[in-house]
Amino acid sequence: MRQLKAFVARLRGLLHSEPLEADFAAELESHVAMHTEDNIRAGLRPAEARRQALIQLGGVEKTRQLHRDRRTFPWVESIMQDVRFGCRMLLRNRAYTAVAVLTLAIGIGVSATAFTWIHAVLLQPLGGVADPNRLVTLESVTPSGGLVPTSYPDYVDFRDHLKLLDGVAVTRPAAFSVGNQDHAERVWGELVSGNFFAVLGVTPALGRVFLPTEYGDAPGSFPVVVISDRYWRSHFAADPNIAGKTIRINQHQLTIVGVAPPAFHGSMPVTAFDLWIPYMQQPLLNGVNVRMLRDRHNRNMLGFARLKPGVTSNQALDELRALAAQMSVANADVSEGMSATLMPLWKSPHGPQGLLIGPLRILSGVCILVLLIVCANVANLQLARATVREKEFSARLALGAGRMRIARQVLTESLMLTFAGALLGVAATPWMSSALRYLMPPGPMVQLVAMDTRPNLAVLGFTVGLCVFAALAAGLAPALQVGRLNLASRMNDGGRSGAAGRRNRLRSILVGSEVALALVALVGAGLFTRAFQTTMRIDPGFDPNHVLLGQFYLNTSGYNLQQREDFCRRLAEKMQAAPGVTDVAYSDGVPLGFEPSWWEELKIEGYAPRPNENMNIFRNVISPGYLPLMHIPVVEGRNFTEQDDESDKAPFVMIVNQAFVRHFFPDRDPIGQKVHGWGVEFRIVGVAKDSKYHYLSDSNLPYFYVPFRQIYRTDMALAFYVRSQDSPADVLTTLRTQTHDLDPNVTVFDAVPLKEFIGASLYPQKVAASLMAVLGSIAVLLAAVGLYSVMAYWVAQRTQEIGVRMALGAQPGHVLRMVVRQGLSLAVGGILAGGLLAFALSRLAASVSFTNSAMGAGSKLMGDGGGEPLIFVAAAVFLCALAAIAAWLPARRAASIDPMQALRTE
Amino acid sequence: MGDKTDVWQGTLALMVLRTLEAMGPQHGYGLARRIEQTSGDLLQLNYGTLYPALLKLEQEGYISSSWGTSENNRKAKFYELTKAGRRQLKKTAAEWNQTTAILARFLTPAEEA
Repeated sequence: MRQLKAFVARLRGLLHSEPLEADFAAELESHVAMHTEDNIRAGLRPAEARRQALIQLGGVEKTRQLHRDRRTFPWVESIMQDVRFGCRMLLRNRAYTAVAVLTLAIGIGVSATAFTWIHAVLLQPLGGVADPNRLVTLESVTPSGGLVPTSYPDYVDFRDHLKLLDGVAVTRPAAFSVGNQDHAERVWGELVSGNFFAVLGVTPALGRVFLPTEYGDAPGSFPVVVISDRYWRSHFAADPNIAGKTIRINQHQLTIVGVAPPAFHGSMPVTAFDLWIPYMQQPLLNGVNVRMLRDRHNRNMLGFARLKPGVTSNQALDELRALAAQMSVANADVSEGMSATLMPLWKSPHGPQGLLIGPLRILSGVCILVLLIVCANVANLQLARATVREKEFSARLALGAGRMRIARQVLTESLMLTFAGALLGVAATPWMSSALRYLMPPGPMVQLVAMDTRPNLAVLGFTVGLCVFAALAAGLAPALQVGRLNLASRMNDGGRSGAAGRRNRLRSILVGSEVALALVALVGAGLFTRAFQTTMRIDPGFDPNHVLLGQFYLNTSGYNLQQREDFCRRLAEKMQAAPGVTDVAYSDGVPLGFEPSWWEELKIEGYAPRPNENMNIFRNVISPGYLPLMHIPVVEGRNFTEQDDESDKAPFVMIVNQAFVRHFFPDRDPIGQKVHGWGVEFRIVGVAKDSKYHYLSDSNLPYFYVPFRQIYRTDMALAFYVRSQDSPADVLTTLRTQTHDLDPNVTVFDAVPLKEFIGASLYPQKVAASLMAVLGSIAVLLAAVGLYSVMAYWVAQRTQEIGVRMALGAQPGHVLRMVVRQGLSLAVGGILAGGLLAFALSRLAASVSFTNSAMGAGSKLMGDGGGEPLIFVAAAVFLCALAAIAAWLPARRAASIDPMQALRTE
Repeated sequence: MGDKTDVWQGTLALMVLRTLEAMGPQHGYGLARRIEQTSGDLLQLNYGTLYPALLKLEQEGYISSSWGTSENNRKAKFYELTKAGRRQLKKTAAEWNQTTAILARFLTPAEEA
């Protein structure tokens, strides 16, 4: 207690240093005066009286120092001294300070931003939920080990039978059209099981969340909705009496029962939803057939669960696996070989984090590279400065300063530099953080990405850690150098030779590492760009030019299936008649969209699947005009016609691709073969040429098409294609007016040229390439500046030696060659080391795959780096040239001056 | 250490508190002189060392200080015991008495033996 009081008093002493100092000076003065007076009274002469008084006091300065030490904290005082002195030194060399601070700001800013993202996506628990650490994702597992969503009936089994979980809930992100017909607005929300909020542990900010009576599985009986705090404020002006009011969603009235707390944005990281509606309203809201809700095949729900207190995730997993094994036997027709698993929320491949993990890994790698180059640069700058300041340091040493104290001074200065850099860098992070959305593939999910960009402790701690790391990395070498200063020789020869040998070795290492890091950056940028270009050149197998793609959400306009089919036919007829339009078609899935396409489990007559063979084949549901519009040739048999319809006379037909034929009918004529799917029998009527379906890197993927009029189901999407003679943008207006003529309630939401849309499939490579291009060029630029300055400095230091050589008769040409040769040999060492590092890293990067959100399947970001020797050679040659120039320019200057002058330079 | 012993911090604090209790408010110089006198000039006090000790006591709240006028009409800073200071004095004095008593018991027979 007393200690604390004293501590506070000393802290106060720190702040009011000057008045307290003056106060004590006055006290001492009065002390000496009184003592002197007494001494005079005792008979001493005034001068002697004062002298004796001072002797007995033990010296005024010493006493003041003792007093000061007790008044404040001596170590704080000396640090403040260091800081003050450091400030003066840094301000005196503005150019040096500016370069160092800016360099550090780039390095630290970039790294802090990357960490903010990683923190938000992977580390930060869901906001607004109780005990988020006990929440886990529940995923269904296919026989081949892929992670897929869960069907509602499977969920009901999990919910009713698992004892070690404090509830299992499911959710499905969905877009709703909210408001009255004419000005409907698209709002994203989640269709959730009734116990959604209970499992998450969310307490409403207003009203209530779903009641246990609303947890049931009766379709259409819960017309209620919970809205987000954000939506409540933006659309209802934070109306405190909102509970009980109605809201029009997909042309149905729902009652708002409550408002979620401000911190809660839904069940996915970095994603903000605004509406939560019981999944059982799906038949009403989206016109989905009730049968679909009961279909175990319909795996469309994302599951999560809460572990009971005291239950480990392994125990819960064992229980879940046992149950899933029973279910896979009981429902063998749809779930044979299926299992289920639990994993941390952030590991789920569904949702934005699944898409972001790959880019974030690359990003963090690149950031480390940039930070290292920055540290090397600043270390160089500091080392150069330390050499210049050797005389100052020697003088301080000679006056009795401790080596530790001077080393500390150097470290203090580098800490000040890094903190100044960090301040600048962190000031930019909120702005850079919002750029996270550019890492997301284009598509509806982008609008949902919401980052909590408020600075938080973890990010702050990370940044401080970075600062200290950077300060040590950049300041340790110069600080150690001080420890080795040879006092006598320094003072005597005025800084001519001394520790030059050792310093040169240190500098050689720095030059080498600069070159190595620059090489890694160059090679990385080269490899990613090359991978991107390679993918760009792949022929997708269809012609996306001059095609406009429009996506409709007819189910949100209250259409039933029949109405949707009619709408498509009539819109197609109208568009076909429009000027400039050559083809019109529509389908369920869009090729090369980032949105995954769906599959159907097929049974092929005459083909015996291998054990565990995945018979889920990807498919598209198309109108007869689709293949001609896409310029996908039918190589055998015929295309679909308008006669392939739902009437009883028309048999179900199917067109398969060449890969399908190669795989399932290697030595049979595919035309006329029977295939079973959707519970009916199809006949193959044609074979279409292979094209790309999901990624440009697809190869040999069996695929099939079925006619829109025969197979179109309520849960399918609707994409509309218009091919025109001119630019697709011109047709957009026509498409909008025609749609409006047909039904003013329908809005064309996403209409883009197909060419642009399929860019999404290039997205992973594009992100990697553009990130590497931006950060890589920063890195190369920094490394080039660093390399040049180190080289130039290294040569400049040898001016005197060059002078001696010239005075002894060396030719300028000789001297030049010698310096350049030595500079190059340094660079070559760095290139060798960097080459090895880059090779190893490219192997690592090649293994980073990109998750496809629906299938859990991976797509590689780039090819094997080892296969691109040209990039390595080009990078090495570029850096050698740079090193040669960096050595040659200052060497030429050194060689051109008069030898006598060179000798006198110091 | 010789005949005139240097004063070490802990005991100096106790001496200051005791002297202040006996004399009432006093300035640093007066305290130093008085401590020297009380010790029968056995203690050679470097007056300067008194001030950090005073500051420490003040920071701990055992004494308070204020500017006043000395007997010779000189401006001087006067130190005064606080309530906490009196309590502390009682406590440490008791502790010291006990310590010295115990030590005395150890030392007396040893000398005889």
